[in-house]
Amino acid sequence: MSKGYRQAPSGSSDKKRKDGKRIAGKQDFGVPGSGGSNPYSELQDIERIPNSQGGQLEQPRGPHVHDPHITGQTIGKATPLVDSRWKVTGQAEYGDDIRLPNELVGRILRSPHHYARIVSIDTSAAEALPGVRAVSTGMDSVNRFGVLPVTKDEHAMAQDKVRHVGDLVACVAAESEEIAIEALSYIHVDYEVMESIHDMEDGLLDSENPIHDRGKYHIGESNVQKRVFQQFGHTDAMHDAPFQSKSDWTFAGLHHGFTEPHAVVAHWDPNGRLQLYTPQQVPHYVHRALSSVLDVPMHQINVIRTFVGGGFGGKSDPFPHEMCAAILAKKSGRPVRINFDREEVYWINRGRHPSRIQMEVYADEKGRIAGIETDALIDGGAFASFGHVTTYYNGVLHTSPYEIGGFHYTGARVWTNKPASGAMRGHGAVNSRCAVEVAIDDVCEQMGVDPMTFRLANLLPPHCRTITGFRITSTGMRECLDEVRKQSGWDDKFRKMPLGRGIGVGCGFFISGSGLPIHWDPENFPHATVHLQCDMDGGVTVHTGAADIGQGSDTAVAQAVSEVLALPLDMIRIRSRESDTAPVDLGSYSSRVTFMNCNAAIRAAIELREKVLNAAWEIIGYHPDSLVLGDRRIYYKRDPAIGVSWLQAVHKAQADTGSLIASGAYRTPPMGGVHKGAAAGLAPAYSFSAYVAEVEVDPETGFVRVIKAWAAHDCGKALNPLAVEGQIIGSCHMGMGQVLSEEMRYGRTGHLLNPDLLDYKIMSVHEMPEVVPIIVESNDPEGPFGAKEAGEGPLLPILPAVVNAIYDAIGVRVNELPVSPDRLYSTIEKQCRKMGIKDPLDLPNPSFEPSALQADLENRAKEHAHRDLQRDLLKDRSSYVNGVLFGFDPDRPLPEQSEGWRESVTPTPEDLADPKKRAARAWSHVERRKRRDDA
Amino acid sequence: MSAPIHIPMVPSDPMEAWTARVNGAQFTELAHSHSILLDVLRDHVGTLGVKRGCDMGTCGCCAVLVDGEPVLSCLTLAFEVEGKDITTVEGLADGHHLHPIQQCFADHGGSQCGFCTPGFLVVSAALLDKEPNPSEAAIKEAIEGNLCRCTGYQQIVTSIQEAGEMLRNGLTGEDRTEAASDPHPVGPDEPTLPPGDAR
Ligand code: FES
Ligand code: FES
Repeated sequence: MSKGYRQAPSGSSDKKRKDGKRIAGKQDFGVPGSGGSNPYSELQDIERIPNSQGGQLEQPRGPHVHDPHITGQTIGKATPLVDSRWKVTGQAEYGDDIRLPNELVGRILRSPHHYARIVSIDTSAAEALPGVRAVSTGMDSVNRFGVLPVTKDEHAMAQDKVRHVGDLVACVAAESEEIAIEALSYIHVDYEVMESIHDMEDGLLDSENPIHDRGKYHIGESNVQKRVFQQFGHTDAMHDAPFQSKSDWTFAGLHHGFTEPHAVVAHWDPNGRLQLYTPQQVPHYVHRALSSVLDVPMHQINVIRTFVGGGFGGKSDPFPHEMCAAILAKKSGRPVRINFDREEVYWINRGRHPSRIQMEVYADEKGRIAGIETDALIDGGAFASFGHVTTYYNGVLHTSPYEIGGFHYTGARVWTNKPASGAMRGHGAVNSRCAVEVAIDDVCEQMGVDPMTFRLANLLPPHCRTITGFRITSTGMRECLDEVRKQSGWDDKFRKMPLGRGIGVGCGFFISGSGLPIHWDPENFPHATVHLQCDMDGGVTVHTGAADIGQGSDTAVAQAVSEVLALPLDMIRIRSRESDTAPVDLGSYSSRVTFMNCNAAIRAAIELREKVLNAAWEIIGYHPDSLVLGDRRIYYKRDPAIGVSWLQAVHKAQADTGSLIASGAYRTPPMGGVHKGAAAGLAPAYSFSAYVAEVEVDPETGFVRVIKAWAAHDCGKALNPLAVEGQIIGSCHMGMGQVLSEEMRYGRTGHLLNPDLLDYKIMSVHEMPEVVPIIVESNDPEGPFGAKEAGEGPLLPILPAVVNAIYDAIGVRVNELPVSPDRLYSTIEKQCRKMGIKDPLDLPNPSFEPSALQADLENRAKEHAHRDLQRDLLKDRSSYVNGVLFGFDPDRPLPEQSEGWRESVTPTPEDLADPKKRAARAWSHVERRKRRDDA
Repeated sequence: MSAPIHIPMVPSDPMEAWTARVNGAQFTELAHSHSILLDVLRDHVGTLGVKRGCDMGTCGCCAVLVDGEPVLSCLTLAFEVEGKDITTVEGLADGHHLHPIQQCFADHGGSQCGFCTPGFLVVSAALLDKEPNPSEAAIKEAIEGNLCRCTGYQQIVTSIQEAGEMLRNGLTGEDRTEAASDPHPVGPDEPTLPPGDAR
């Protein structure tokens, strides 16, 4: 323990009257605590103070706005999660661990049919069963809800029809689980089965019974839920480019596979307020949905987030079973607990959309990306969920990190009679990113350039705008690529390893917080708010609504506060569980928490800090500008011996108010284009990543093993490197699962074949290769202490890295995920047949002959590296938009400069001419309100 | 029209007394002959640290130690382990001190959402009990039945290795009952740096 500084002993707890007697009841707040683990106050650690503040911390990308508030307390140190002690002792209470006295057990009756009309429901026999306390059906709750206000299409229980196997029909609350299960079998439901659709392409067609009816906004009579068209740049000219890669991908649906099944407990307290305990990523949406479904004002509902046993997007919708629990609890007047078994988890789903993606990447003779054309048809299952956004994300999130000459996107999401798809880690970006990166590899192969070099020569610089108008601030893409290239030994391995052994690279790009709050105008209301409260004990309580789902958001917010106030983490207490005490927060999705909540927390902490510094000024007589916050102590810059303890200053500051409070909020700066859909994919910052994977492929069995992965992720600044590394490795685990084994398999009759963890193959410890997490810090100008997201972006690059590595190993391109041995083997067989080879072991091992372009691109990459550095350090402040690489002047509107430069989001018939495109077919329908017969 | 299926579940056979030692204390609970150990532990004994992830032996969240051996409690009838010695995650710490394996999972990122953690902890505690210096392969073999969706296992393996190291050095985990930092730091020291060197 280093030597610290002694406080001036407060020692005044023996206040005496003039006559020497103690004043009863007028004692100072004495020195509390039992001595503590470190009785000495540490000075600021000079090595953790940034250069810009006179410290020794290197800042290769220049200073950051938050530098003056860095005290060296916790930021950048590997910090165990603040709630990890609860978890390792088994005291963390997840949804099913909430046991209220006198509780009932709820159970849900689910549809056995894919698609059927409900003719009648008879619950009388169930109600008569002894021990049954409440039975409820769709009649008890007719209000719609849904996670997005524009697509509310869910009910607590089916109203007139059931839309997928497992759809909720009725529910029961009983004294025991056995009674509840038995009661379900007494509920008589008459169904009239209708023809169901299971293939997403059928969803594009007109149907007699569309799965939902959206009234005048319905698109034709089809099952198209959302369609998106975007066209930017030279979308015609790109088709003439000399190098073209066209592929047609099939991605299986995925489930999040969190270990904790959904569970919920509802209780109407004696005052008639609803207390709802639920493992939720977004408690606020549940709060809103409950209010509108139950017709109860929001202030009469308290949503309590329990510990969340993994979310990954799968616990971010308001769920019908949450409504059911509330309804049953109301009917029975007792607390009701509903917990899912593993199969039910798959019925509620909200996993990654099964998708078919047609990807075309064009490259010109100068080795630039002339354009990307994407057509994505995604299978939304029976409900909208986040699908509106997913449809956009499948396209707009691959307009970066590369500079492109054109971008043409058609996307459509259709309803089918499957459990609903929704948001899952890497929301909407994962599949199309995989397709883009593999296509780039293919283009490089045609051009004869190294895919590393090609990528490095085509990156967008920091502080620029993408082709659709996203504002990029910091980017560490180049450093990520450089790092993985070096650490993986890329140059010695690429196309140089024997048949069956391969290496591949992939990049990723993801939003760090969605720029548009779904429920309100960001002008009127901030994205995140944090309250701080400091009482006489000197500890600081943080009130935030951010949901810790295991990613460590509580820890990150605590760190932000502790850093600014120079308090040890154990003096920061997080209250993030109850909507009664937490300010409104949009929850944990779109990788927004670190960026938005920590920013709000920093603001609040700065306000608190000011109050305390002013108090210290009164005590020691030095102006706050010359005071420094060290560990639990405030002292004079030039003489650390002059100072007061945190507690003394706090008490002084509290003299008037008794308690100190402060509040901080974050809202995104104005940004983005004005076209329809411009807000989708808009974020205050973006994360970047580049991975290299090395694989072993057995050409005779099609079995793929990932040997090692190098994973570089630019998270701006690692507030907690331990957590960032955990996120990177965890993302790799999930991503590799998607490439190699995970899949929601539907049988010929449309039934889900593997609603369990045995056949839904999540990688075990044996399949999981070594992952080398590499943290790249680009110091984002607006992020909290420079930080950006690290939770979702790290998933994207692993898929294409593995697929590209498979090509390097055996020269076979796959375009169907997961690459299970049977699939890969049949592709190998096809390839062998095509090449007239008998033995797969005779497959030609891909080789690499650099063309003349290689040297050009290497030079360009070098120039760009210099350009990027200048821009990072703000030495070069010129504006930069996507297009400069193609000779445009960034300061004038691009369409003015070139005839063929398009910027449009409404398709003309010619734009959709290609008959082979799937999603484009969604435009063959006309919205009902625009059809003449309705006019 | 679907024919109603009737699954008779109640009344079931009468409950009988079931006895076992759980985390060092003797418990006698009423249970059915078909009661699952997981249910008895969670609903009657009250050790909610034992997690239910799948009910079918695929996730490992429900692992407990029976006489020191890892067992999936969701696949075990309560009466199969009648009279045995059961350890759940709650029984790893000694009251004051965390078990090294708990300490290391907390400190090295072995636990993110924490739902799988109780299972991993008891399984690896059993491993380290037998072999305080396990090879990486032995560790992987020990936890092969446990799924973790968050961590990608790497930090879990590190945590187990670190815990082995602690055990070999005879260290215990930190004392949970000791007070942490005092907001009012005091100490006997005088300044050790000349004025001005603070930053
Ligand atoms: S609950 Fe026992 S293994 Fe999953
Ligand atoms: S920590 Fe979440 S499943 Fe393992």
